[in-house]
Amino acid sequence: MRNLIKPFVLACLLSTASQLVGAQVSPERLLNAEQEPESWLLYGGDYDSQRHTDLDQITRDNVDQLELKWVWQNRAPDGASQKFEATPLVVDGVMYTVAAPNNVVAIDPVSGRLFWIYNYTPSLDARLCCGRVNRGLAMHGNSLFMGTIDGKLVKLDARKGEPEWIIDVAPPELGYALTLAPLIIGDKVIVGPAGGEYGIRGFIAAYDVNTGEELWRFHTVPGPGEPGFESWEDPEQEAWKTGGGSIWQTGSYDAELNLTYWGVGNPGPDWNGDSRPGDNLYTESVVALNPDTGELAWHYQFTPHDEMDYDATQAAVLVDMNWQGEERKVMLWANRNGVFYVLDRESGEFLMGEPFVSVNWLSGFDEAGRPIRALYPSEEGTFIMPNNQGATNWYPPSYSPVTELFYVPTWLDTFSVYTKRPVDYTPGQQYVGAFPTMAMPALGVNAVNQRTPEEGLGAIQAINPQNGEVVWRHVMNNVTDSGVLSTASNLVFAGGREGHFYGLDAETGEELWRQTLGGQIASGPMSYQIDGRQYIAVSAGAGLFVFALPE
Amino acid sequence: MNRFSTFLLRCIPCALILVPCGLSAQEHSYAPSDIENGRGLYQANCLGCHGNNADAVEGANLSTGRFRRASSDEDLIRLIREGIPNTLMIPKTNLSYGDTRAIVAFLRALPGGGALVADEREVRIGDASRGEALFFSQQTQCSTCHGVNGGGNLLSPDLGNVGATRTPGTLEQSMIDPMAEVRAGQRFYQVTDRQGTTIRGLLLNQDTHSVQLLNENERLAAYNKDNLESHGFIPSPMPSYLDVLSPDEVADLVAYMISLKGDAE
Repeated sequence: MRNLIKPFVLACLLSTASQLVGAQVSPERLLNAEQEPESWLLYGGDYDSQRHTDLDQITRDNVDQLELKWVWQNRAPDGASQKFEATPLVVDGVMYTVAAPNNVVAIDPVSGRLFWIYNYTPSLDARLCCGRVNRGLAMHGNSLFMGTIDGKLVKLDARKGEPEWIIDVAPPELGYALTLAPLIIGDKVIVGPAGGEYGIRGFIAAYDVNTGEELWRFHTVPGPGEPGFESWEDPEQEAWKTGGGSIWQTGSYDAELNLTYWGVGNPGPDWNGDSRPGDNLYTESVVALNPDTGELAWHYQFTPHDEMDYDATQAAVLVDMNWQGEERKVMLWANRNGVFYVLDRESGEFLMGEPFVSVNWLSGFDEAGRPIRALYPSEEGTFIMPNNQGATNWYPPSYSPVTELFYVPTWLDTFSVYTKRPVDYTPGQQYVGAFPTMAMPALGVNAVNQRTPEEGLGAIQAINPQNGEVVWRHVMNNVTDSGVLSTASNLVFAGGREGHFYGLDAETGEELWRQTLGGQIASGPMSYQIDGRQYIAVSAGAGLFVFALPE
Repeated sequence: MNRFSTFLLRCIPCALILVPCGLSAQEHSYAPSDIENGRGLYQANCLGCHGNNADAVEGANLSTGRFRRASSDEDLIRLIREGIPNTLMIPKTNLSYGDTRAIVAFLRALPGGGALVADEREVRIGDASRGEALFFSQQTQCSTCHGVNGGGNLLSPDLGNVGATRTPGTLEQSMIDPMAEVRAGQRFYQVTDRQGTTIRGLLLNQDTHSVQLLNENERLAAYNKDNLESHGFIPSPMPSYLDVLSPDEVADLVAYMISLKGDAE
């Protein structure tokens, strides 16, 4: 007996001596995430958000043998508004994910059985434009971090599923909501709020992982005296207070440059910018911040003075590559506005912008990389491509260093008629203007599709970052809210609203395998390995589906 | 830069269909301006949960004109302003009575909401009893396909309620130019298999790999697209009566159809 007790006492002593002794996920482990492909430690796979796995057991030759290993069914989502958008984490043999809106589960990734479930009931004050959703978790030490739709940040003990603390990040009654997976850098947890349709003033904020204390806050809409404020040109100097700039996709991080990159959402109000003349920085931009201080290093604005709701809330995909003959640290970005961008992520320099769908709102770029606008919303209505939901959106893309191609979920050749209408701000209510026309629903209740091809199709597209050319395109009869996973064995996994999940040849786009999952796929597929077996996980409808090769 | 400004002409007709129409109503009588105003207010205040088509919340489909917790428009207005306790339907205290009434006007103007989608066209309305005779005549053969509260075939819409859901302008257009607007749910599709057999039917559903029809024999039939030689949308079998009927006869048929109110409240 004594022999058994001793190590137990020792472990207790050690864990009180330092919180990180025996802790599972150290900051260093996150920095080296790509060295353990059997895990999935960060929302985007690792800090570069490439969503590429080095696991290669499933190949182009055997992918057609993939079989379903288990399904975890969560309570049926509430119509279209509770999509299952989270990408799971897999750490040390345990999977963690979030069922909409904010219920966290720890699952045995081999059997699909639960270790625990943490049910969080959001306040009735929560209000969301586009779904009561959550995109995932972050892990530090033995703790999980989750943003909630009622504007809170929850720290959970990953071993028991019990909250360690819950802090207020932003007031839900004013439309602030956290839907993104937090990002851990060092001992900070970084988040920002959704709410671009409620006249919020957006921000990115870092909190101490231990105490929950706020360490810095970068306002995505600068106030008086802050750089960028001059881009809010209304004489009354009021528009910035409700200027939007939401954050609802997780940032990326380059440790060598010590910069974290975040995409910023639309200005408020969405569809009538008359009250906010100027470029409206830093809405529809990518911002590069020093994670120690929150200080801005550079920014690039994709859509100045946006009135089309082209949120720049995509994942920043970081790649070190020979780009057009020069070794560079670049950022690849397929934007909701229909243009694929290559930026230098050290300086923010615009290197290239090429459309990846039919686009008519701009006619090109000037020398500095600023878009030359061709069309604006009008009182009589303006026909603009792509549509209000955009050519892509938050659904995370993938980059394969093997094929050197960028894979992006796409809404092909869509359009909206944008009509300007007067709009007034009331706290806590939507602050948008007239909703543009669209041929397909923004949120998918898609059991029945009777639309013609001209009303819009979906695709997974492979783009060559060297020139922006679409190399191949896997077309689907409905649009897609699915992310993409690429593998070292030259496979691409993705799906769409129809509920089909595909394994494609990463070089050609050829369909090698598909499984019908019976509900829309609105999350990023991921991969992990346990006991020498590679698994592929994806959520669809209210279920989490996991595949592997036969034993 | 060639790849910019790919303004697809083929999309323009679709865009015209989608441009919001002015609206009018009959049983639930609202001015077009109320409905248009209500559309904006709905989008600003309700769309987040209830969705584009007002049908996104299970158990609270607002697009049908039938409401579980409200029987009159006044009930609806009260419900929106006061909310439903212990649910996510919070009180919309920011909305005035007039704003809330406009939202109800918009909901009533939805396709199933019990009011009409109107347009600006000048339409002649003739004699309904002459129109009824024409409808069932050998000359038009309307009733060969279309039922009126029964009859007709399953592939063609029953017109027993058409006067409550369509305006005179759209009814006239559907007779003289039926392909001008074919609504989802009334579109026809054709598949040809590898043996050369061709099947036509009403498109019920489709995805990338399969298509589900109500075929011309009024049977449900599904096809794997991989096994087909060809497939695609085809024109509606509804013929144009532009050269078949005189303007007076068209006016009489319009009059008959707007008299068909079915079981509308």
